[in-house]
Amino acid sequence: MAQRDASHESDHDRITDTNDVAVESAVVADELQLSYPSSDETIVDVARLDVPEGAVTALVGPNGSGKSTLLKGLSNHLAPDQGDVRLWGESVDSFGDKALARALGVLSQKNESPGTITVEDLAYHGRYPHRGFFESVTDADREAVERALEMAGVEHLRNSEVGQLSGGQKQLAWIAMVLAQETDVLLLDEPTTFLDLHNQFKVLETVRQLNERTEVTVAVVLHDVAQAARFADYLIALRDGQLYDWGPPGDVVTEQLLADVFGVEATVEYEPELQVLPRRALPDDRN
Amino acid sequence: MASAHSDAQVSETAEDRGWLTGDLVFFCLACTAVTVFAGLIQVSFGAFTMTIEQAWRAVFNPQVVFNLNAWEAFMFGTELPEMNRRSLIVWNIRLPRVFVAAIVGASLAVSGAIFQAVTRNELASPYVLGVSSGAGLTVLLTLVVFPSVTVAIPLLFGTFTFNTTSLLPLLAALGGTIAFLLVYGIAWKGGTSPVRLVLAGVIVNMVFQSLQRGLFFFADDLGVVQSALAWITGSLTGTGWEQVRLAIIPATIAILLAVAGARQLNVLLLGERTAQSLGMRVERVRFMLSGVAILAASTAIAVAGIIGFFGLVVPHVVRIVLGSDYRRLVIGCVFAGPALLVVADVGARLALSPVQIPVGVVTGVVGGPYFLYLMRKQESMGDL
Repeated sequence: MAQRDASHESDHDRITDTNDVAVESAVVADELQLSYPSSDETIVDVARLDVPEGAVTALVGPNGSGKSTLLKGLSNHLAPDQGDVRLWGESVDSFGDKALARALGVLSQKNESPGTITVEDLAYHGRYPHRGFFESVTDADREAVERALEMAGVEHLRNSEVGQLSGGQKQLAWIAMVLAQETDVLLLDEPTTFLDLHNQFKVLETVRQLNERTEVTVAVVLHDVAQAARFADYLIALRDGQLYDWGPPGDVVTEQLLADVFGVEATVEYEPELQVLPRRALPDDRN
Repeated sequence: MASAHSDAQVSETAEDRGWLTGDLVFFCLACTAVTVFAGLIQVSFGAFTMTIEQAWRAVFNPQVVFNLNAWEAFMFGTELPEMNRRSLIVWNIRLPRVFVAAIVGASLAVSGAIFQAVTRNELASPYVLGVSSGAGLTVLLTLVVFPSVTVAIPLLFGTFTFNTTSLLPLLAALGGTIAFLLVYGIAWKGGTSPVRLVLAGVIVNMVFQSLQRGLFFFADDLGVVQSALAWITGSLTGTGWEQVRLAIIPATIAILLAVAGARQLNVLLLGERTAQSLGMRVERVRFMLSGVAILAASTAIAVAGIIGFFGLVVPHVVRIVLGSDYRRLVIGCVFAGPALLVVADVGARLALSPVQIPVGVVTGVVGGPYFLYLMRKQESMGDL
């Protein structure tokens, strides 16, 4: 059950998950191969990858499995060596730069801004793709920023300088910026990595609520598989740049997966709810 | 629930209050006052003695200020109308130098501010990125190898003649662009990074400065060497309306473009990846804004030589007062640059009177230690 037959998926435009429920995909990657210009090594090589519409999909995998690279490929920040990425059936290449930024929001893993910028001003930068070169702020911009600040829960911080915020508040401020972009798809690259537990939950809950309220499609890279299993509707497990498994957490997260992908021996409990209890690291030469 | 209370607050957002706040207006007014005051001091003293009252009366002499012929003479180089001796000295010798200082100050400050945003590096300036040395080299080449060649181009009506010196801003811009392209090319590796840009700038600077020094050996008389030396240190000695005419159009264009591009600069400050995911074509925008900065720097260099530290320090001073929002910063630089350079030039011209020192020496001697002080005071320096 662990390794799914990849060709079975790529035959269909509309795919089904393991329970044979039809899934509409917002983002589809087809025969995608990605590498960085500075080296010849192929980092990501997936036959087919789907980010289901209106759901939260978590990309999991160990360090160096190509999660962030894949996200760069999906957001057209990295031109594929082969294959293509489609957003609602249209290649991301066919979007203009600003049009793509109006459809697809991306939050990088590490963000730096001038310390003196206020949270509100940062959120206004999210309106960049909606504004022409000489256009000034419109009512639509103001409303979008207000909604974004409210949804990210940083309204009370609007006049605070980003440099003065804690790590969690900073991350929420950046999320407000991406929300102000008003995109239908959000790609988040490890939004919880540098945060303490409380703030990890806060960020994830914010994303969850957002998805429930606006039905935005979310793809989020998480390095904690236990967290991802509880939080996401779908999991995409990557190993060495290849798709290991895809589906609802209950199907994907198995003891076999934890051994194969993460190299840990773990107990997975399915009742009363999905729980991952890592035991110990498996020896490196197990293959 | 989503927009339940968002409407109520909409009217009070910071974006509504705008970036044009009281402190920005005050800062600009204060800078203007300093510029005017320093300018008045500058025109009041000199080899031709007159009282301060006489000098100021000459500045505001209505027969000059409201005389279209006089302005035509200043701006287009036509023949000067009759005016009394004091007015002539003030208006034809001392004031234009103040105007040149103001134009050069604004250009350099704006150029530095743009380069700092484009490279996301507080240490960037036209000097560090090789633009100054590139522009300086072509200017030196022009002075030493082709001194004052007059070129005549026959046109339909009469002949259009010009001197190579009137092409200096253009040539300087060309040299600055070549040097910057070199720097950019060396730093390019599937994209650029602030650190690689600065390192490449240091290397290109060294090479170009060696070439500059080498050129001295080909100068056949001491006068050329002296004027070349003034060039390399940056000097406003002997500048007049000709330099104002030379610099004002490119400087104005560059400054307007910088003000228009301020929002792009702000987005660039969020980092390359964020700018990209907001739909900006990062390399293209970066390149075009660099072009604006090169134009501004080259214009300044063409009329005043290489004035060190100025493009680096002024944006810092403005940033401390007004913050890092480029809509405010660029405008602040347009006002602070003239104020500081006119003051520096007062020092250069009058401090050791009757000897005049190049203004670049003043900015170096004052700006260097001030920058050191900033570096010690601020915890983090380097990345913007």
